[in-house]
Amino acid sequence: MALSFPHPARTVLVTATAAVVALSAAGCSPAAPKASSGPDVFSVAASAAITTWDPVRSFSTEALYMGNIYEPLLWKNPAGSAEAYSPAIAESWSASADGKSWTFKIRSGATFHDGEPINAAAVKASIDAARDHAAASFIWAPVESVTAPDDSTVTLQLKYAAPMDLVASSTYGAWIVAPKALAASAKNDKYFEAGIDAGSGPYTIDSYKPGSKVVLKKYDGYWNKKAASHVDFVDISITPDAVTAQQMLTAGEVDYATNIPLENLKTLASDPKFTVKDFNSPFNFLAMFNTSRAPLNDPEVRRALSYAIPYKEIIDIGGQGYGTQSHGPAPSGIFPYSQDVPQYSQDLEKAKQLLASAGHADGMNLKLTYASENPAEARFVPLIKDAFAKIGVKLDVKAELFNQQWDSAKADPQSAQDIFVLNYWPTYSDAGSDNLTTLFHSSEKPSFNLSYWKSPEYDKLVDKAATLTGTDRDAAQGLYKEAMDLLYREAPAAFLYDARTVSVVPAGLEVPAYNENYPFTAFFAPIKRAA
Amino acid sequence: MLRFVARRLITSVLVLAVLTAIVFILARIVPSDPAVIYAGPKAPPAELDRVREHLGFNRPILEQYFDYVAKLITGDWGQSLATKRPVLDELFTRLPATLELIGFAMVLAVSAGVILGVVASRRPGGFIDGAIRFLSIGGISVPAFWLGLLLQLLFVGGLGILPATGQFSNSIKYSNPISHVTGLPLLDSMITGNGVAFTDGLQHVILPALTLAAYPLGLVARMTRAAMLDVMNQDYIFTARAYGLRETAIRWRLALKNALPPVLSIAGMAAAYALTGTFFVEAVFNWPGIGQFATSSMLAVDYPAIIAITLMGATAYLLANLLVDILQSRIDPRVSMS
Repeated sequence: MALSFPHPARTVLVTATAAVVALSAAGCSPAAPKASSGPDVFSVAASAAITTWDPVRSFSTEALYMGNIYEPLLWKNPAGSAEAYSPAIAESWSASADGKSWTFKIRSGATFHDGEPINAAAVKASIDAARDHAAASFIWAPVESVTAPDDSTVTLQLKYAAPMDLVASSTYGAWIVAPKALAASAKNDKYFEAGIDAGSGPYTIDSYKPGSKVVLKKYDGYWNKKAASHVDFVDISITPDAVTAQQMLTAGEVDYATNIPLENLKTLASDPKFTVKDFNSPFNFLAMFNTSRAPLNDPEVRRALSYAIPYKEIIDIGGQGYGTQSHGPAPSGIFPYSQDVPQYSQDLEKAKQLLASAGHADGMNLKLTYASENPAEARFVPLIKDAFAKIGVKLDVKAELFNQQWDSAKADPQSAQDIFVLNYWPTYSDAGSDNLTTLFHSSEKPSFNLSYWKSPEYDKLVDKAATLTGTDRDAAQGLYKEAMDLLYREAPAAFLYDARTVSVVPAGLEVPAYNENYPFTAFFAPIKRAA
Repeated sequence: MLRFVARRLITSVLVLAVLTAIVFILARIVPSDPAVIYAGPKAPPAELDRVREHLGFNRPILEQYFDYVAKLITGDWGQSLATKRPVLDELFTRLPATLELIGFAMVLAVSAGVILGVVASRRPGGFIDGAIRFLSIGGISVPAFWLGLLLQLLFVGGLGILPATGQFSNSIKYSNPISHVTGLPLLDSMITGNGVAFTDGLQHVILPALTLAAYPLGLVARMTRAAMLDVMNQDYIFTARAYGLRETAIRWRLALKNALPPVLSIAGMAAAYALTGTFFVEAVFNWPGIGQFATSSMLAVDYPAIIAITLMGATAYLLANLLVDILQSRIDPRVSMS
């Protein structure tokens, strides 16, 4: 009996090979196919996930999109700009001499994306909604009442003097929203989540695919023609992994990427197709000492550790060179930052002497925690461990997800870590009322004051400075400087470095300077392709 | 057979119930406050209290668990803490992309794995067998994220013939938009005759599918080889040879059919395991599927999402197991369904 069968393996192999060859041939230009005619699309890889589309409740990474869709009353300009603010929904604004009454003049003739006019009533409704249920509602805490005496005037009466220009330009809790959408979301708190927008900015949401894609469409009715979008669409691929974003950028699959791994910047900087630029950012790193128990309840020991930290290496390795050593907790360029606040520098001999004089000549064991998802911290924490070993301090390092690290730290200071490494940034551009207060003001129950430090002298300084920020910013700056000097002397934390934000700009693209006041926002409208 | 399936489904429900309890308790005893995850780290205490009240986090954990299970049964899988959307919506939005990826990877893994296994079994210990063993063990051992990067370096950076990431080129949405038919975009582009989108989608799926296929391909190839060696020593093979049947026919028709049940079993398990494999592969290739959602949910300690993904993975395992048993009984009548 002789049977004949076709050879299955051969058949499959031939078919598969033919398919791969055909596909590869078709795919000789992987970024293709490009639309030869049609809309002008700018494609971006961005890591920013959307935790909510509700502009009032927004308090996370979706700020990247919000800043392109919505507008606040005013924009805060980057440090070093000729003007501190640019008008947005408000054309002008003023404060009373005592800083307790602020008046904003609302621009006329502008409309929201749904066609509703922008007027004082809409602004009042937005501020009232933010005060009522914004995740960052606390920024409006000084406000006693909001009134709209006419179509173009909004007045804020305050319980105490406060810098409402800074508050009104916040990246969280200060977007002005179309009234009909606000009313709809009051009835249904999921109203915005399908990707509905109700802003007045240069873009509307064209489409949203969770976890994958956001497409923004140019808003033709945008009032500010000078700041209108240069393209029809911005097509954003949500790309959580920075290495993948780099692959997409270098392969030409996107025009721009917002997150590139720091450790790969040198490669890109040497590539003529890209320019690497760096800017001030509001992000800084600090190591908070547990002052609630021995041995770090002794300022002498804390100063010894502050002298042992290798600040330069931390910036070189942790920040890959993109950072400057901190002068206290206020990030570079953010009020009340001052270069006159003294810094520690590494001096191991002095550190040993201080430890010995504090009765710890034989060294000690300490436990440090850091956020495992933060690559910079993962890079520089071993440097601290090595440096501490040189002065006889054995560091037990524990990496945890930030939510877990933070939850353990808040539970009981007596059993918590000795050192908490934290990456922090202010909610809006006032590091006095945020960083200096949130991180170091006394409180019964710890939140972000994870040094558990209590100093009536410090509390008095920052409390008084906060009341002066709205009326006499120089005086406030002076008091905050005194408070930061005290932090230097008492060392409840070691201030490691202020990170710089890096932008990789492809050749042929004009990208605006990063604005540290909107740290998560990439402003797409000013981006244009060179002629 | 119906009794067998019913019995298996009942035990599957029990397994899922126990699993739900374990994952729920594990997710809730790790130090992290779900209200903070929901409202944001700087949310004021009053807002955190409102969230705890609204989402029931202030109730006893057992009460929360039973409430969760009761809702689970009615199809309410809870709300993602990170995205504020129903977890099922999140999963179903991403499922088509993951299904297409796993489908391609498994077709590749099983077809290539079986062929390589049969070829390797022809001369055990020979050069070809050694080369295939090297490939198979390499596929099993090499971490997916590393293999993915290597493939990107070769096919994207080096040869420049395939795209690096994503499911389709960005331009497809504007130049050749895909009409919705089944929800599986590649299939939809084929059904609707959208050749440009189909070709573009196929180019995009090759590298992630190859990466995801490496592990099951190695397993299938090794299992096929072992099963073939076993079968080729059976008496009926000698009888077939004695009757003058061609070696190719003996090997590819007679022997392979009898060697398939264990291969099928391992392929079924590998297909279910591929769901967890997508965690890495989707990150490397920015594939918009469940794997990416799983990774971000774990990093955010988003426990409703984590439980849902775990349940989905477990269900996939149980269904794959059941399917394999049924298929085995079809292929080999000696396998009883009792």
